[in-house]
Amino acid sequence: MGNKQTTFTDEQLEAFQDCTFFTRKEILRLHGRYRELAPHLVPLDYTNNPDIKVPLALIVTMPELKENPFRDRIVETFSEDGHGNLSFNDFVDMFSALCETSPRELKTIYAFKIYDFNRDSFICKDDMKRTLNKLTKGELTPEEVTLVCDKSIEEADLDGDSKLSFSDFENMVSKAPDFLSNFHVRI
Amino acid sequence: MTSYSNGGLFNPAYHDSETLESDRRSSSKSHPHTNPYARGERADTHYATGQNSGDDAVGRVPWGGWQEESWRGRESIPMGLISTRPGSPPWQHDLNHSTFQIPPDSQYDRSPSVRLPPATSGNMTMRWRGMTMRRMSMFPNGDPNHVAFTEDAIRNEMENEEQNLVKELVAMSTRDRIRAIRDLPVSFDEKKHIRSQVLAFKSSKKSRQFTCFADCSENMSLSFRRCGYSIRSARQTLQLWQGIMKEIGGTFGTSVLSYFVFLKWLLMFNIFSFLVNFGFITIPLLVYDPSPNIPPNVSFRGLEILTGAGYFNNTVMYYGGYSNETLVGLVEYNMQLAYFFTIAVYMVLCGIALIFSMASSFRTNYVLADTSSNSAWQLLCSWDFNITNERAVRQHKNNLRVQLKESLSEKAQRELLTLSKKLKHFGVYLGSWLLSTGLAVGCGGSIYYLCQYEQQRATDAANWSLLQEAETLLVPFVVSLMNLVIPLFYSLFNKFEPYSSQRRQIYALVVRNVLLKMSILAVLCYYWMNVVAIKFSCWESMVGQALYRLVIVDFLFLMLGSFFGEFLSNVIGRRLLPRLGVPEFDVARNVLEIIYAQTLAWIGIYFSPLLPAIQILKFFILFYLKKVSLTQNCQPPRRSGRAAQMQTIFIALLFFPFFVGALSMVAYTAWSLTPSEHCGPFRGLTNTFSVVGVWMEYLEKIPGSQWAVWIYQNVIRSEIFYFLISLIIIVTIYIFWQVTQGRKHLIGLLRKQIVNEGKDKSFLLDKLQNLQKSKPDQKSKQKNHKKHSSGGQSNSNAMFQALLARQQLEEEEERRGVGGVPDISTSSALAQAVQARQRAEGQERDEYYRTGFSENPVNTSSALTQAMQARRRVEEDGADDAQDLPSSVSSVMMQVMQARQRAEEVDRSHRVPAHPQNLAPAGSSALIQAMLARQQAQNEYDDGY
Repeated sequence: MGNKQTTFTDEQLEAFQDCTFFTRKEILRLHGRYRELAPHLVPLDYTNNPDIKVPLALIVTMPELKENPFRDRIVETFSEDGHGNLSFNDFVDMFSALCETSPRELKTIYAFKIYDFNRDSFICKDDMKRTLNKLTKGELTPEEVTLVCDKSIEEADLDGDSKLSFSDFENMVSKAPDFLSNFHVRI
Repeated sequence: MTSYSNGGLFNPAYHDSETLESDRRSSSKSHPHTNPYARGERADTHYATGQNSGDDAVGRVPWGGWQEESWRGRESIPMGLISTRPGSPPWQHDLNHSTFQIPPDSQYDRSPSVRLPPATSGNMTMRWRGMTMRRMSMFPNGDPNHVAFTEDAIRNEMENEEQNLVKELVAMSTRDRIRAIRDLPVSFDEKKHIRSQVLAFKSSKKSRQFTCFADCSENMSLSFRRCGYSIRSARQTLQLWQGIMKEIGGTFGTSVLSYFVFLKWLLMFNIFSFLVNFGFITIPLLVYDPSPNIPPNVSFRGLEILTGAGYFNNTVMYYGGYSNETLVGLVEYNMQLAYFFTIAVYMVLCGIALIFSMASSFRTNYVLADTSSNSAWQLLCSWDFNITNERAVRQHKNNLRVQLKESLSEKAQRELLTLSKKLKHFGVYLGSWLLSTGLAVGCGGSIYYLCQYEQQRATDAANWSLLQEAETLLVPFVVSLMNLVIPLFYSLFNKFEPYSSQRRQIYALVVRNVLLKMSILAVLCYYWMNVVAIKFSCWESMVGQALYRLVIVDFLFLMLGSFFGEFLSNVIGRRLLPRLGVPEFDVARNVLEIIYAQTLAWIGIYFSPLLPAIQILKFFILFYLKKVSLTQNCQPPRRSGRAAQMQTIFIALLFFPFFVGALSMVAYTAWSLTPSEHCGPFRGLTNTFSVVGVWMEYLEKIPGSQWAVWIYQNVIRSEIFYFLISLIIIVTIYIFWQVTQGRKHLIGLLRKQIVNEGKDKSFLLDKLQNLQKSKPDQKSKQKNHKKHSSGGQSNSNAMFQALLARQQLEEEEERRGVGGVPDISTSSALAQAVQARQRAEGQERDEYYRTGFSENPVNTSSALTQAMQARRRVEEDGADDAQDLPSSVSSVMMQVMQARQRAEEVDRSHRVPAHPQNLAPAGSSALIQAMLARQQAQNEYDDGY
C-alpha cells in the first residue's frame, strides 16, 4: 500500500484472504469495483468497517451481471437482508462463491439457492417455470413450459416428491461437469 | 389475523415475545381443557385485555415479523444448514456434513422486529404455510409448550454445533482450517466470526502452555502463509491474456473459451521445453563456441526461414549443429549426456504433466455416463454465467429454446423408426466410415509416394540451388493441404449422417480427423526412420529440417484456414448468401489443429532442439489471430455441447495417440537407430542410448560412484526388474478396477435407497396428514359448505376461524351434555364465539383498508351472518338449558354490548375514510344486528321470568 491511502488494514485483508478465495490484490480491485457503483456512497477508507449497503438496482448494472437472466436472484441470494442490498462483505462473498477456485459443494449450494425462487428449500415446478421463462425470454407456449418442467423434474427427482430437494440437485450437478465452469463469473 | 388460521400454524415471533407467552399461560390456567388450536387461547387473551381496536395491528405484526424472519435468514432457506426458524430443523433434510454449520447466535440476536410485511407474492406465503403445516403435523399434538421446549433444545443444539465446529477447526492444520472456513456456505461476516473464534481459542490455549517453540512455529506458519498469498498474487499478475480471456468468455461462452485456454496451456508447455532445451543444451555450447561453423560457400538467402535448410543446417537449430565433445570451461560439461538427459527428462516431465492434468480433468468432470437428465440439466446447469455480451445472451436464449423444442419433438420422432429406415441409417454410417477411413489411408499412401519421389531428387550436397530448396516445400505443402481439405469432406459427410445426439456426431468427427492425422504422421515417421536414416549422412538434421518445414507450413495454412474458413465465409454469409449465415467457431476442428501442431513439435524435439522456440512464436501469433478472427467473423456456437467433457477428451487425445506416438517415435530413434557418423553429439555410437553405457564405464573408474553403476547394472539393464514392475502395476490396476466395480455397485444400491426413502417419506406424510385431517373433518364437514357461500376469498380465513370457534362451542356443549355443568365453560365458549366474531371484523376492517372498499357490503354481511349464527347457537344453547339461565342471559347481554360496540366501530371506521356510498349498507346492517340482538336478549329475559 505504501504511501497511498489505506483502504483496509492488514488484519482486514488477512481475514478476507482467509475467508474467501481472493488474494489481497483482488480484494482491493473488488473494492474499487464496488466503489465504482456508488462513488458518493462508498468511502475509500474501509478500516473502520462502515455499514454501507449498495442497493440491488446499482449492483446489477455491473457488466458482469447486467446481462445475466438471474442477476436479481444472485444478488438477493447473497444479500444479508434478503432484499438485494449488498454490503461490501456480501459483495466479496458473492464473487468468491462464483469465482473459479470455489469448490463444487459451495457452488452447488449457492446455485440451489439462486434457483429456489420462493425460498422453500425445494426447487418446485413453479421455480422451474420461472427459470425457464428467464432462460427463454418467455417465448415458449404455456403447454411447452409445463411439459419441459414436468420432464426435467421427473428426470432429476430421485425421491419422487415431484420437486427437487437439495440432494436431487446435488446429484444432478454431479453428473453435469459443465456446471463448474458455467457457474463462474470472471471479475 | 391470518397467521393463526388453519389450526396450529407455528409462529416463531409469537413464541419469541415473552409477554404473549405469559399471557397465554395465565389464560390456560383458567382454562382447564387443552385446546388443540392455539389461536383459541390467544383469542382469550385478547378478549381479556379488551384490545379491540388494537387487535388488528397486534395480530398482524407477528405475521409480518415471521415473514421477515424467513426472508432475512437466507442462509437457512435451503437444505437446512441451520434454521433461523425454530421448530423446523429436525425435519429439514440434514444434507450437509456436520462441518457445514453456522453460528446461530447472530440470528438469535436479531429481535423479532416489528416490520410491515414485505411485498411478497401470496403464492409464497401459501407455500410457507403449507410447509409449516406439514411440519406442525408431525408434532405429537401441536402443543405450544412443546414447541417452545424444542426451540430451546434446538438453540442449545446449535450452540453446541458451533462449539464443535470451532473445536474441529482448531484441531486442523492452518491450511486445512483456512480451506474449511472458505468452504463454509455462510456469509462472510459469519466466516469472520468463526475465524476470530478459532483464533481466540487457539491463542487462549497457547497462552496456557506458552512456549517459545509454539510461538516461533506460529510465527513461521503465519509468514509462510503470507508468503503463499504474495506468491499467489504475483502469479496472478503474470497471468497471460486475463482480459482477453474474459472478453472471449463473455462474448462466446465457455466452450469457445476452452479452445483458448487449451492453446495457452500448450504455449506454457512449449515455453517450458524451450527454457529447458535452451538452458541445458544450447547455452553451454554457445558459451563454449559462439561462432557457428558454417561452410564458407553457404550464405543466408531468405528462403531458409521457410525451408529451414541451407544456412540453418549448420546452426544450433538442428541436431547436427551440436558437438560430441566434453566442453571444458569452468566445469566439465559432457554434451552427449546433456543432450540425452535433457530430452529424456523433458519427455518424461511432459508425460507426467499430461497424465496429471488428464487425471484431474477426469476427476472434476467425472461423469457417471448418464444422459437421461438432459432437460433438467439444460434448465439448471447449462446457463453460462460467464456471458456478459447482450447479443450473446440473446442468442444463447434462442438456442436454448430451439433445443428444448427439439427435445420435445424428438421424443415423438424416435418411435417412428422402422426397420428399413434403420437399415438405411446403418448403410449411411458404414458408407461414410469406409469413405473417411479410405481417404485417410489414401492420404497416407500418396504422401509415402511423394516422399519417395522427393528423396530420389534430393542429394546430400551441402549447398542446394534455390529451386532445389523450394522443392523441399512440396511435401509439407501437400500434407498441410490435406489437413485443411479432408476435414471439410468429413464435415460434409457428417451432415448426411442421421445422428441422434450431437455428442455422437462430434465424436465421430473427432475420431475421423484423428485417424487422418495419425496416418499422415505415421507414414512420415516411417519414411524418416527407414529411408532418410539410411540415405543421408547427417540424417537427423534432415529430419529436423523436414519437421521445421512442416511446422512452418502448417502455421501458414492455419492462417489461411482462418482467413478462408472464417473471414471469407463470413463475407459470403453476410453479403452474398445470407442463407449460409455467419460461420460458427468450430472448437473441435481448431483444437485438433493445435494438437497436431504440438505433436510435430514433440517429435522434433530430438532432431531440432530449438523447435519449441518456433512453436512459441506460432502459438503466440495464433492466439491473437484466432481472437481477431473470432470476434470479427464468427458467431457463438449454436450448440454449446458439454464443453468440459470435450476438454477432457481433448487432453486425453493429446496424451494418447499423439504424445504417446511422439514419445515412441523418439524412443525408437534413441534406442535402435544408428546416429549419423559425422555430425551431432552422438557420432560414433551404435545407438543413442549407449551414451549411458559409456558414461557408466567412465564412472566405474571413479571411486565413490559404485552405487550408480550398480543401479545401472541391476535395475536399468535387468529384465527381472521390469518384469516385477509390470507385474506390480498390473496387480494394482486389477485391484483398483475391482474397487471401482464395487463402488459402482454401491452407488446403484444407494440410489435405490434414496428412491425408496423418498417413497417412504411421501407415504408417511400422506398418512399423517390423513390422520390429522380425519379428526377435524368429522366435525366441520357439515358446516364447511357455508364457508363457500361467503363472498370474499380473503375473508375465508376469518370465516374459518369463526367456524372453528363454533365447532368448539359445540364440543363444549357436548361435554356439558355428558358431564356436569360448569358455567365457566359456557362463558368461555361464548367468549370464544365473540372473539371469533371480533376477529372476523378485524379481518373485515383490514380488508376495507386494503382493497379500497370494493365488495365490502358482501364481506361484511357474510361475516355478520356468521357471527350471528354463532351467537344464535349460543343463545339456543342458553335457552335449552334452564339451569344456566342467569349466566347465559348475562352472556347474551355481553354479546349485545359487543355487537353494539362493533356497530359503532364499523360506523367509525367508515367515517374515517369517508366513503359514503359504502357506509349505508354495512353500517346499517351492523346496527340492525345490534338491535336484533337486543331484542333477543329482551325476549330471553322475559322468558326467564
